[in-house]
Amino acid sequence: MRRLMFMVLIAALSLAAGTFETDVQPILQAKCVPCHDSTNRTSGFSITSQESVLAGGARHGAAVIAGKPAESPLIRILRGDIKPQMPLGKTLSGDEMVRISGWILGLKAEQMTSKTKPYWAFTKPVKLAAPAVNGTVRNEIDAFVLSKLTEKGLGMAPDADRRTLVRRLYFDLLGLPPTPAETKEFLEDQSPTAYDDLVDRLLKDSRYGERWGRHWLDLARYADTNGYEGDPEWPHAWRYRNYVIDAFNNDKPYDQFIKEQIAGDEFFQVVSAVPAPPPEPEQAVALSFLRMAPFNRTPVSEENRDSWLSEMTSTVGSVFLGMTIGCAKCHDHKYDSLPQRDFYRMKAFFSTVTVPSTGRAGGAEPAEFYRPGEKEWADKLREKHKQDLTSTQAAFDKVLEPLIAKLTEAKKRNDARFEGKLSAKDVEKEVNADNNNAAGFDKKPEVLTAAQKAEWGKFNGKITRLKKAIERLEPLSMGLRNADGPPFSPSPPATHVLIRGDYDHPGEVVEPGFLSAVEGHSNPAALKLDRYKMFPTRGRRMTLADWIANPENPLTARVMVNRIWQFHFGRGIVETSSDFGRNGTPPTNLELLDWLTIRFTEEKWSIKKMHRLILSSSAYRQSSVHENSKGLELDRDNRLLWRFPRQRLSGEAVRDEVLAVSGRLNSEPGGLAVYPRLPEGLDEGQKVQGVNTWETSHGSDGRRRSVYVFQRRALQLPFLETFDAPVLNTSCERRRQSITALQALTMYNNDFVNEEVMHMAERVRKETGPDVREQARYAFELALNRSPKPKELEGALQLIASTEGGNGLVALCRTLLNTSEFIYID
Amino acid sequence: MSASRRDFLWRSWNGIGGLALSQLMADNLSAAAAIDPMAVKPQHLPRKAKRCIFLFMAGGASQVDTFDYKPRLNDFAGKRLPKLPGVSGEIEGFLDAPHRVIPSPFEFKQYGQSGRYMSTLFPQMGQMADEMAFVHGIQVDNNNHGPATMHVNTGSQLQGAASVGSWISYGLGSENRNLPGYVVIQDPRGSPVNGSAVWGNGYLPASYQGTQFRSSGSPILDLALPRGLSREQQRREFDYMAQLNHEHSAERGGSAELDARINAYELAFRMQMEAPKLVDLGSEPETVRKLYGLDNPVTEGFGRQCLLARRLVESGVRHVLLIHGVEIGKFSWDDHGNVKERMPQHAAEVDQPVAALLKDLKSRGLLDETLVVWTSEMGRTPFINDLTGEKPGRDHNQYGLTVWMAGGDIKAGTTAGATDEFGLRALEQPIPMRDVHATVLNLMGLRDDRLTYLHAGRYRRLTDIGGQVLRTIVS
Repeated sequence: MRRLMFMVLIAALSLAAGTFETDVQPILQAKCVPCHDSTNRTSGFSITSQESVLAGGARHGAAVIAGKPAESPLIRILRGDIKPQMPLGKTLSGDEMVRISGWILGLKAEQMTSKTKPYWAFTKPVKLAAPAVNGTVRNEIDAFVLSKLTEKGLGMAPDADRRTLVRRLYFDLLGLPPTPAETKEFLEDQSPTAYDDLVDRLLKDSRYGERWGRHWLDLARYADTNGYEGDPEWPHAWRYRNYVIDAFNNDKPYDQFIKEQIAGDEFFQVVSAVPAPPPEPEQAVALSFLRMAPFNRTPVSEENRDSWLSEMTSTVGSVFLGMTIGCAKCHDHKYDSLPQRDFYRMKAFFSTVTVPSTGRAGGAEPAEFYRPGEKEWADKLREKHKQDLTSTQAAFDKVLEPLIAKLTEAKKRNDARFEGKLSAKDVEKEVNADNNNAAGFDKKPEVLTAAQKAEWGKFNGKITRLKKAIERLEPLSMGLRNADGPPFSPSPPATHVLIRGDYDHPGEVVEPGFLSAVEGHSNPAALKLDRYKMFPTRGRRMTLADWIANPENPLTARVMVNRIWQFHFGRGIVETSSDFGRNGTPPTNLELLDWLTIRFTEEKWSIKKMHRLILSSSAYRQSSVHENSKGLELDRDNRLLWRFPRQRLSGEAVRDEVLAVSGRLNSEPGGLAVYPRLPEGLDEGQKVQGVNTWETSHGSDGRRRSVYVFQRRALQLPFLETFDAPVLNTSCERRRQSITALQALTMYNNDFVNEEVMHMAERVRKETGPDVREQARYAFELALNRSPKPKELEGALQLIASTEGGNGLVALCRTLLNTSEFIYID
Repeated sequence: MSASRRDFLWRSWNGIGGLALSQLMADNLSAAAAIDPMAVKPQHLPRKAKRCIFLFMAGGASQVDTFDYKPRLNDFAGKRLPKLPGVSGEIEGFLDAPHRVIPSPFEFKQYGQSGRYMSTLFPQMGQMADEMAFVHGIQVDNNNHGPATMHVNTGSQLQGAASVGSWISYGLGSENRNLPGYVVIQDPRGSPVNGSAVWGNGYLPASYQGTQFRSSGSPILDLALPRGLSREQQRREFDYMAQLNHEHSAERGGSAELDARINAYELAFRMQMEAPKLVDLGSEPETVRKLYGLDNPVTEGFGRQCLLARRLVESGVRHVLLIHGVEIGKFSWDDHGNVKERMPQHAAEVDQPVAALLKDLKSRGLLDETLVVWTSEMGRTPFINDLTGEKPGRDHNQYGLTVWMAGGDIKAGTTAGATDEFGLRALEQPIPMRDVHATVLNLMGLRDDRLTYLHAGRYRRLTDIGGQVLRTIVS
């Protein structure tokens, strides 16, 4: 009855069907925002455009059935036929309901095309000529940016001043502040190419790789440990970290970078029946990318292998293709044209990989040292550790001797028939009995004293650490290889679609194949096997890598260009930089993204050239403090870039900055991981089987750049964690910039900060002399790259004067490090 | 932020220290909500519980020696279990091995009005039996500590998902703005398996990760002032910093984030005052300290954790995770050997403190508003673990976990699920962990299908594919 009346109502009013923009969107805009705007997209539903409304959301599918308002989920939800009734806590008037219904009534089935129209990310980018615009156009980027801004009646902000630009560039490219001298040098450089020269200089600086390599390490979910029980160390993971830093410093073409990380072991062409030689060491190290996920060895089963390969497939999909193909593991992708089969077809490229099976986390592959001088360094250090080990072992044996004798004696007292002598193993057992989860709490009389056990523990710890130190320096990497294949080992296994992703429900068998949405078909990929088909396990991953690292692939270059853009501007042109699918956010400027993409592949995938291009644009050089009420009103989040987006530094950059201003940063590149001192109380918790796994670095080693800090999955360095450095269990495409009270506590009270603050004050005194005014001025220069304003200077002098114990300068330095300006970059 | 608001902030700052700032904070709440992840959010469902205390027994607590009474095991003492119909997979493998049954070495007794059977290892918790509802035969996804601990605490055996406390504080925000919304207190003897991943925020924003409180000394990292610094000196520095920061913000048109950062410093200032008072258990009356067993070295450790938890929830902290037990070793419930001597030790450490927590919450009228959850990462087998000889212990068993809950809208005295007569596995349908998670969320007034977060193309939730609320134990 209700329904009948409803239909009558519609018919009676029989509106001339209105358009979405005029009749429907204003209502939805008023009632459904902010939950269903393009940012929040609650339940995947957004009311931003007719297309998005037609597409519907995650819960009820298409929101509208053309010509049938009463059956359309949108109307049924608005009427409360589907619970919960929308909009929550608001109601629509009869008139509004009628207008929406009228629009649906007037829709024709042909208009429901949002799903059939080719999706932009799956179509090849088109290079458009830069639009003609008014404004400061330094290069094509500006034309594209201005074009979007002009549509809204907006323009770009004026250039930031030079002082701001030099600080911005240093942090952006190096992750470190300019020194007062470097600031001065740039300010005084009158050459018309001063800015571009600075960019060039910074891109050549080896600290650039440490900054930009860190971005990639986030994507690669890099860690030095395995996670899970005992969180065991991966002794060779650090070499991948250095590989990434080198790749950025050397401007390794991105297509090559991709291929090395997916198929570094398949570069050699096999042209005869003779197997390929082992991969080049650098490429063997690159393959660590595939191994970086936390690894759960239990249960030891085919199912576990399946989840390992699935992770590899998903991560390759999101990092290189910006496609959340992992979603298709269990079902056809709800939003993107990714049938479930596609996930398994992609996974089939990885089905032949194998890892030497040692320990909880799997073993390593041979990889000689490839960095200049590294082999000599490693040999020398390893030799030193070996000698140390020999002498420690000898000293340990001396300590052990009486312990063994004592235990043997006790044993003989208890067991008259016992003859002979116990061994070092028995001592170990006795010492560890205390921490045995099979033993009781009942106290036996102790044979060894606490002091003896402690001494044993000291030696055991040292020996364990030395053995580990030697192992880290072996010419090995965290890579993987292909299983040998027939005749001595099995053929490549069949890959099944798993129904609902459930290992126990295998479905059809699939062959390796590329994403059907991109290819337009789902034929198997032509695997690049050797010509005699001698090595059927080899060539799968290179086949995939060649398809990904290809200018013809509509996703790869776009995704990377967007990532570069994101790291410069804080937000990508596509905000969801690892999700270019329909559930991600649409590009704010597709023409610009496409233009950059084509330029990137034309320039042979050079990342540094892309930097130069972006950094030389007016868009990048804009001021961030420009007040523009119209901009705030029309584009509150500054997505169209009417000014430069201010950004908070990452945890690593904050820590490095503190060390840089105190003058104590150890900028030695490369090498093994370092272990800055942990806050009191946390250190003890790092013991695994009595041996502390946090090998606190003393002296300047503990003050190396944060990218070299040991990445422990069970414990991130708290300072970094407080500033949003994640424990990387999954790929992280964008750091958060949270604001918490814990950050305030850390910056103000933390031992590390306060130690560096003392050194900063010392440095200021040393570099300026006794004049307090000059000291205060220089402290500002160091921390903020600028002189204090008169009122600020006055406040600083007051603070210095009112502080007791002659610690005024320390107080000032500490205060400056705690200002917003210290960690927010304009 | 409007010019007048900035002006107000500025004047408030100069005029007073902390006091009027709380007023300012409240006043500012709606403006802050947009950028403040811990702003209070409404429940999806009307539920009494406002806060949650999650008790995690690390190592895999044996269900048949605690709350899952299986007298039938006595008939099989030292013998193999019979072949059970319908048993397959891993459990079948269990049965094929020559395992000898170990009946529980501990007496079971009925407690309370409900006549609930519990092991006499928990005489004090027994007195609170009428407050509890039990869930038996819970199945977790993995049979080893690392992944199982992740599963029970985050809903996924893979690392990278968000923990229960993160979800709850994401869903509800925090009532106390001077303290973290989600606090973790681990065993004073060390960390659990997986370390901080157990209370990680996973894909949720970092603000929702658990903040570790230590039960002695300075409760939060970096809470204490640098050595030799006075509160007055800090105030001087903060005032000058505020001058610089306000100027900086004003020059930039007063962005919400810069203003939020200024507030964060005041919050930190107040946290420094409030948090040490909170952990100062010396201010509790002797009777209360005794109630929690602080006077006994066996119970002192977990007693402090429990008392601190009560003080935290009383102050409006949303979620408290207490961990008892340390990564594989002596102080873990991982009793592969010598159940007979080890279980009494674990039980003695927690029995009185947990009972005290329930009693204390109840007497303060807080139990209605507080959901207390007891769990471990898995159960154990009713038969011997082959590896040990003389003093038998039990192996891991992912099919027989027991959980109990108390407080909030729990229907006390009820039981959901059951294991077979040997406590080996669920009698009928096993209860998946996601159902337990859905129930916890429901009792906190949150719906597992609405508490979602878009990550890597999917709306994530604690229960992944969705859980069924265990209606039998919910009133």
